[in-house]
Amino acid sequence: MQRRDFFKKLGVVAAATALTPTISFASGAKSKNAMTYKTALDAITGGKTAKVSSKVKLKTPEIAENGAVVPVTVNVDSPMTSDNYVKAIHILASKNFNARSIDVNLTPANGKAMFSTRIKLGGTQDVIALVELSSGEFLMASQNVKVTIGGCG
Amino acid sequence: MAKRKSLIKIKPKKFKDGEIVKVSFMVMHPMDTGTQKDKKTKELIPAKYINSVKFNYKGKEITNMTVWESLSTNPVFTTYMKVDGKGELKVTFTDSTGEVHETSKKIKPKG
Repeated sequence: MQRRDFFKKLGVVAAATALTPTISFASGAKSKNAMTYKTALDAITGGKTAKVSSKVKLKTPEIAENGAVVPVTVNVDSPMTSDNYVKAIHILASKNFNARSIDVNLTPANGKAMFSTRIKLGGTQDVIALVELSSGEFLMASQNVKVTIGGCG
Repeated sequence: MAKRKSLIKIKPKKFKDGEIVKVSFMVMHPMDTGTQKDKKTKELIPAKYINSVKFNYKGKEITNMTVWESLSTNPVFTTYMKVDGKGELKVTFTDSTGEVHETSKKIKPKG
């Protein structure tokens, strides 16, 4: 019996120590617009599935030394005429507390479907470019970025 | 409130009518996420980030962006634009604290 009790207690302590740091982190670093990658993806596509396509070219460094400044460039192969153009480019980061980084709404007056900016990454994760075409289709491309120092506290 | 420095850059510098040029908009902005702590006082730095950016050319909106907090400090927004005669390119952005800022640049195609 004594041995059994000992293991029971050990289990409880182990579970408590494993849980507490994650809970304290979550409550301490909560933002108003915290959004996981899945909910962000559903909010943008509205339940539609996004195809992985070679038309979308995502350019990011594979290893980012500083997570606070990660350059991201999205290039989409599109004619950009009034009936066939890129409606929007979304940049998502899968593990940031708010997965949505930026939504860019383009018009045919842009002439070329390209967008580039610099984002913050909290750690090693995937950067996803989600592209909405004027026909209602969704295309995407993703790349894993290794971050040595986190930038998005 | 400190005056925000911002800049609109167009590449190439000399362009013709109908050409597609690269437009970058840069702004000095802290982009605080609201989750970071001040190292000295150990208090949370309140959130202050750009909400939306709009590009207006000749009174018509060409690009409109919804921005969240995970952009870098002093962000840069780069897109392309088709030149369509003389006009003014106006960039407006709003902040999560309600700050509004506007910059403009005259566009003069040659030839």
